[in-house]
Amino acid sequence: MAISTAQLPGALTHRPKRGGFRRVLGPDHRMGYLFVTPIALFVLSLIAYPFGYALYLSMTHKLVGLPPVFVGFENYIRLTWDGFFQRAVVNSFIFTFGSVGFKMVLGVVMALVLTSNIRWRSFWTGVLLIPWVAPTVVSALNFLWIFDGSLGVLNYLLVRVFHILPQGVGWLSEPGTAMASVVAVNIWRGFPFFGISFLAGMKAIPIELYEAAAVDGAGTLQRFRHVTLPGLKNIMIIVVLLSTIWTFNDFQIVYILTKGGPGGTTMVMPVLTYETAFGAQRLGEAIAVALYLLPALAVTIMVLARYMRKGRKR
Amino acid sequence: MTAAAGRVQAGLSYTILVVLALMVLFPFYWMTVTSFKSEDQMRSLVSMFWPKPFATENYAQLVHKTDFVAWYKNSVFVAVSSTLLATSVGTVGAYALARLKFFGRGFLASATLITYLVPPSILFIPLYAQMRNLGLANSLSGLIAAYPSFTVPFVTWLLMGYFESIPEELEEAAMIDGATRFGAFWRIVLPLSMPGVLAAGLYAFTQAWNEFLYALVFITDGKLRTLPVGLASFITGDVYGWGYLMSGAVLTTLPVIAAYIYLQKYMVEGLTAGSVKG
Repeated sequence: MAISTAQLPGALTHRPKRGGFRRVLGPDHRMGYLFVTPIALFVLSLIAYPFGYALYLSMTHKLVGLPPVFVGFENYIRLTWDGFFQRAVVNSFIFTFGSVGFKMVLGVVMALVLTSNIRWRSFWTGVLLIPWVAPTVVSALNFLWIFDGSLGVLNYLLVRVFHILPQGVGWLSEPGTAMASVVAVNIWRGFPFFGISFLAGMKAIPIELYEAAAVDGAGTLQRFRHVTLPGLKNIMIIVVLLSTIWTFNDFQIVYILTKGGPGGTTMVMPVLTYETAFGAQRLGEAIAVALYLLPALAVTIMVLARYMRKGRKR
Repeated sequence: MTAAAGRVQAGLSYTILVVLALMVLFPFYWMTVTSFKSEDQMRSLVSMFWPKPFATENYAQLVHKTDFVAWYKNSVFVAVSSTLLATSVGTVGAYALARLKFFGRGFLASATLITYLVPPSILFIPLYAQMRNLGLANSLSGLIAAYPSFTVPFVTWLLMGYFESIPEELEEAAMIDGATRFGAFWRIVLPLSMPGVLAAGLYAFTQAWNEFLYALVFITDGKLRTLPVGLASFITGDVYGWGYLMSGAVLTTLPVIAAYIYLQKYMVEGLTAGSVKG
């Protein structure tokens, strides 16, 4: 691009004009505000306002079709001593931390394998990412069919093909296996995101660090522990926090596979929110379920946002 | 590393890859095989892993006896409209937040990121109430209006990273050459960012195509369902009809996987840029 000197003076006066607005609001404020107005409108109308309304509704008795009656923290207090709700909280934690832990391990394995000396790297990467791209509802329905107690292929394989079990298991209908089954599906769907993020992180670690470690006599395991893991620390924090938020609020998988059953053994908070709102029609209480752990969510989001912005600035 | 150790490592890598790939692909293989089995083949557990003969009755039944075609149209309409909306709003917004200098930019950038992290499970009830007050509940317009709540913050966050990676000198040079601020964006930065915009648009599309919770809650009319909710509605009855359910699942997955295979490079880059950047 040639710089034409004839236009230079005009171009230079273009920016630092000494107008009052310009100084206070910044040199690009007109185009800036014009460009962010649509985002601001969407954020205000689709997130900020509903969020405020949710806070208000959670402090009311609201039945569908009737005006809300303000009751303060009554919904929250009642939930605190409600055994079914307590169980949903515990289940949500089991579901979340069980899933996130395994996704972490599988993600590291996936990234290590994909950075090792293999052929068709992008083919393998593409294949392993499929669960993350495919519609979650479809995946959940697939597993519902695979786990089916009488005609499901999992029992067929375990009983008739490999003779590991004497008879089929009702994976989703028995209290002992239901939670493990929904966790497994969540791991299946979520581990590629961990893998691909760690892969990106590993590629960013300078090769010199590995060479230096090798010169110092570090073996494969030591290089992993002292070079790879520290290099991935920030990304690991970001991915774990992101996945914790997403998993904690995962509705589709549990709703499609078990609807919280059998007997509440897989009832997690988002499904309880939905059931309270649209089954029992108690909207105020339903939102209190959704917002019960808001302080923890807010802290997680703040920490995560800080790490994500830091990750960008490098 | 010795040659032998290298071979052991490669062998281990391929073993793990094959195991992971089998795990990942099996449900899709099983879905496809099931969709080509007749009710009898399924019930009597014959021709388990490869349908003999191939039955296409499930697809016929799906198209003729259910609202599947209507759901497909609804999904295409909702996903395409909300993607165009989110991508255009997100692109200009991301450019402003990444590049332009104006008061309040840092705050707005943080606010956008935070809204990306707010989960739909705490927004769906108030959004539903809001849509009902506006008369948009039980309509596709309601979904198109609601989906930007997750697509816009995502597209904006992804593209902010993309715009930040384009050297500022390019725009400065263009402006010294007489281009306006808008011209520098429109003619220099935007064309260079097309791969990023494409990736962001694709993700917005898959997110809208796959969305379940809002569609489940907002839509009460059976004909107005989107594909995910329509498919899931097959299991609420007493008879599951796995054959046509799985054929519907195949047809729902196809566009997403086709787009993904074709544009994998952009999507993998977009995915990693969207959340984290190494």
